[in-house]
Amino acid sequence: MEALAARVRKGGDGALTLLAAAALLLGSALALQAYREARHPLPLASSDVLYFRGGAAVSRAALGFDAILADVYWIRAIQHFGGTRRAQESDKTYKLLYPLLDLTTTLDPHFNIAYRFGALFLSEPHPAGPGRADLAVSLLERGLAADPTRWQYAQDAGFVHYWFRQDYKAAAEWYFRASRIDGAPWWLHSMAASTLAEGGDRQSSRQMWRQLYETTEDTWVRNNAQLKLGQLDALDEIDALAAVVQRFAQTRGRPPGDWSELVALRWLTGIPLDPSGTPYELRPDTPGGVALSQKSSLHPLPPQFLKKAGPTT
Amino acid sequence: MLAIETERLTKDYAVGFWRPRPYRALDSLSLQVEPNEVFGFLGPNGAGKTTTLKLLTELIYPTSGRISVLGKPPSHPDVRRRVGYLPEAPYFYDYLSAEELLTYFAGLFGLRGAERSRRVASLLDRVGIAGERRLPLRKFSKGMLQRVGLAQALINEPELVFLDEPMSGLDPIGRRDVRALILELRDRGCTVFFSSHILSDAEALCSRVAIVVGGQMVISGRLSEILAFEVSGWELVMADLQPAALESLGSAVRKVTRISEGRYTVEVTPEAEPERIVGELRSRGGRFVSLNPVRTTLEDYFVQQVTARKATAPAGRAVPEG
Amino acid sequence: MARVICLVAYHVFKESVRDKVLYNLVLFAVLMIGASYLIGQLTAGQDVKIIKDLGLAASSVFGLFIAVFIGVGLVWKEVDRRSVYNLLVKPITRSQFIIGKFLGLALTLLVNIAVMAAALYAVLGLMLWLQPGLAKASIEAPVMDPQLLMAFALLYVQLLVVTSVALFFSTFSGPMLSAAFTFGLYIVGHFNADLANFEAVVESQAAGWLGKALYYILPNLAPFDVKAAVVHGQAVSFSYVALTTGYGLLYAGAMVALAILVFSRRDFK
Repeated sequence: MEALAARVRKGGDGALTLLAAAALLLGSALALQAYREARHPLPLASSDVLYFRGGAAVSRAALGFDAILADVYWIRAIQHFGGTRRAQESDKTYKLLYPLLDLTTTLDPHFNIAYRFGALFLSEPHPAGPGRADLAVSLLERGLAADPTRWQYAQDAGFVHYWFRQDYKAAAEWYFRASRIDGAPWWLHSMAASTLAEGGDRQSSRQMWRQLYETTEDTWVRNNAQLKLGQLDALDEIDALAAVVQRFAQTRGRPPGDWSELVALRWLTGIPLDPSGTPYELRPDTPGGVALSQKSSLHPLPPQFLKKAGPTT
Repeated sequence: MLAIETERLTKDYAVGFWRPRPYRALDSLSLQVEPNEVFGFLGPNGAGKTTTLKLLTELIYPTSGRISVLGKPPSHPDVRRRVGYLPEAPYFYDYLSAEELLTYFAGLFGLRGAERSRRVASLLDRVGIAGERRLPLRKFSKGMLQRVGLAQALINEPELVFLDEPMSGLDPIGRRDVRALILELRDRGCTVFFSSHILSDAEALCSRVAIVVGGQMVISGRLSEILAFEVSGWELVMADLQPAALESLGSAVRKVTRISEGRYTVEVTPEAEPERIVGELRSRGGRFVSLNPVRTTLEDYFVQQVTARKATAPAGRAVPEG
Repeated sequence: MARVICLVAYHVFKESVRDKVLYNLVLFAVLMIGASYLIGQLTAGQDVKIIKDLGLAASSVFGLFIAVFIGVGLVWKEVDRRSVYNLLVKPITRSQFIIGKFLGLALTLLVNIAVMAAALYAVLGLMLWLQPGLAKASIEAPVMDPQLLMAFALLYVQLLVVTSVALFFSTFSGPMLSAAFTFGLYIVGHFNADLANFEAVVESQAAGWLGKALYYILPNLAPFDVKAAVVHGQAVSFSYVALTTGYGLLYAGAMVALAILVFSRRDFK
């Protein structure tokens, strides 16, 4: 007890005053910082200017810390991608994404996820990404150059051509190339073949996304694949619903105004929901009369698979 | 007004990192030092002498108890202006010279200009390092640093001076100089409080002493009251003696010790007449060297007290419960 | 009272000088001159940028090393060697001691930065004099850009913050550990902005809050780094400099107060 009293007496009121002073100073500092941040954006600092414009220069300057620098640039790339995606402005350019990925992979040419994710990020169409499938492919090509045994890069390149550029011939070539690499799984060959044969077919797309969904370990990729699968299912469902709507229009002479009319006829068991649980909408302005709600998480549907006109067969 | 007064001054340290156990460095010390006296604070190593000095100069804070220096608590700014302190084995700034150091410290007291240079110069002279004033302190020997330490303790012409082992590191000439300095300070009206484990210095200089052992005060008071100055025997040194000459000297002789070839120390009881023994041994061919009375010295008293304490004290100085 | 602080500060500066710390300036000068000669072989216009980059970066590194390595010893050395005993028994309070030490290193840094700035301008001036064509080729910023001073000024304030952190650690921790912590905080301080955005990028809300809390408490050093802006000719407004300087000084003040707090409660065994 006495020892405690002595300790308190040691500093006395001096201690409390100093602590209060420190807190006050820090508080003022933070207030000033907040004010400055509100008035001035950060100057042209590392967030906008890459100190080194080329990967090769960085590599030389890194002095043996290449790997960690690669990590730092990779984190920057992710933050740039994520940050831009979430930002409110309308003209998102993602202009630093490729340079950052370039730096990352130059510093560490075996940085697996930088190639694979990077390619996916680069390919995502505006506004979710820069929509630069060409850069994505060149990134993957570099990955292959550094590591020719990585059939996954070739597969990814094929995928990018297939999904984002709708260049089925190129996609098939890449799948063939991938299948020829030692250690590649057997289904790559068949995927190549079906791509060539059926092109923009939903079934082969579904197969590829399913393949991706099942083989990846990563949550983001899996969620993305699931989304795409959902979209494909939605497309099928829309076609089926369009057929019902068509039948109604033919018997009644006008398109249905509401789903309840179809439910009353027992042609539908309930209000139809898309795979994300959002109700489909009756939209007379669309070719089939049925469309995905814009509020659905599956929106927008990949345009290459939407039918142009008329019912499906 | 007492120069220094402490009342039940206690200092505990927590020893050990993970489960600190308290260690009592100083236990309930109460002492009084009159103004203008030379007070010796004595004790074996680890007794708490330096701890006490640091408490008095507020380098450390007490666990409990009261301190008054020149009538005020040691934290009072006035106190610092009027005291001087020489720490044990002092260390100063390598990169400064003796003169620069003293000038720095003088500046802290508010001294300036010509008066400052004058005082610095005279102090350097007084402690005998005027010749080395411009030498960087890193080149100073231990003895020279001790002198610098004394000089900086006196830079403000203090009323009260704390000296922690002032003789340490000095050669006999240096020690004589310091003794003279202490006496000079006393003559000028200063109070000198010094700690030491060299008892002959205390005997020569102090009017009053306190002895601490194991963190506790054993005794405090006038030196003359503590020691009995009666003679407890005689010590006779004779030379050129044959071993045979020292036999059968009678009961007056308590003990004979051989120093070297032909030279012997003869301890004579107090009741005997030492001159008779001298005469006897001279007739046996010996040559007289010296004859000294044996008194209970401070050292005897000291050793006696320390040994007694060690016998009764427990192994560690734990803080008592409650 | 101010006299006492000035005396302590003056002696910190004197010690730095006598310990030949300022010799780093010679190294700096040699580096700049050597680089300007070698880089002159590259395309015109680029070398101005590179010299500026190099000058600012080198100043930053040299300044950082001085701030850390002297800073962590400011209090520790005195306590460890017990020279602090002599000082504290004189009429000087513990807070005067700490403030004096801080200002002393601040003075050393000021001299160092000032000389480096002068040297950079001198080298740039020399380059301009030897190659008058450089003036036209530098499209982004003038060769002897006065805005460089802004960069140096903010660098100086940043170093004051680092110094205050090093001083704080010095009051209770040995030089090795203190240096490690201070360097660590310096690095973290540059990524501080990422901490602020943490909650936007992670899923756990607790992690987001932790990130935000750390963002406030840890020194935010990135805004002091206007090197890139200045070299690319982007104006750094006076109010930005003033506000950032204010933050830095207040933060340093808080650290010094904490240092005084720790130091005042210490027993000097």
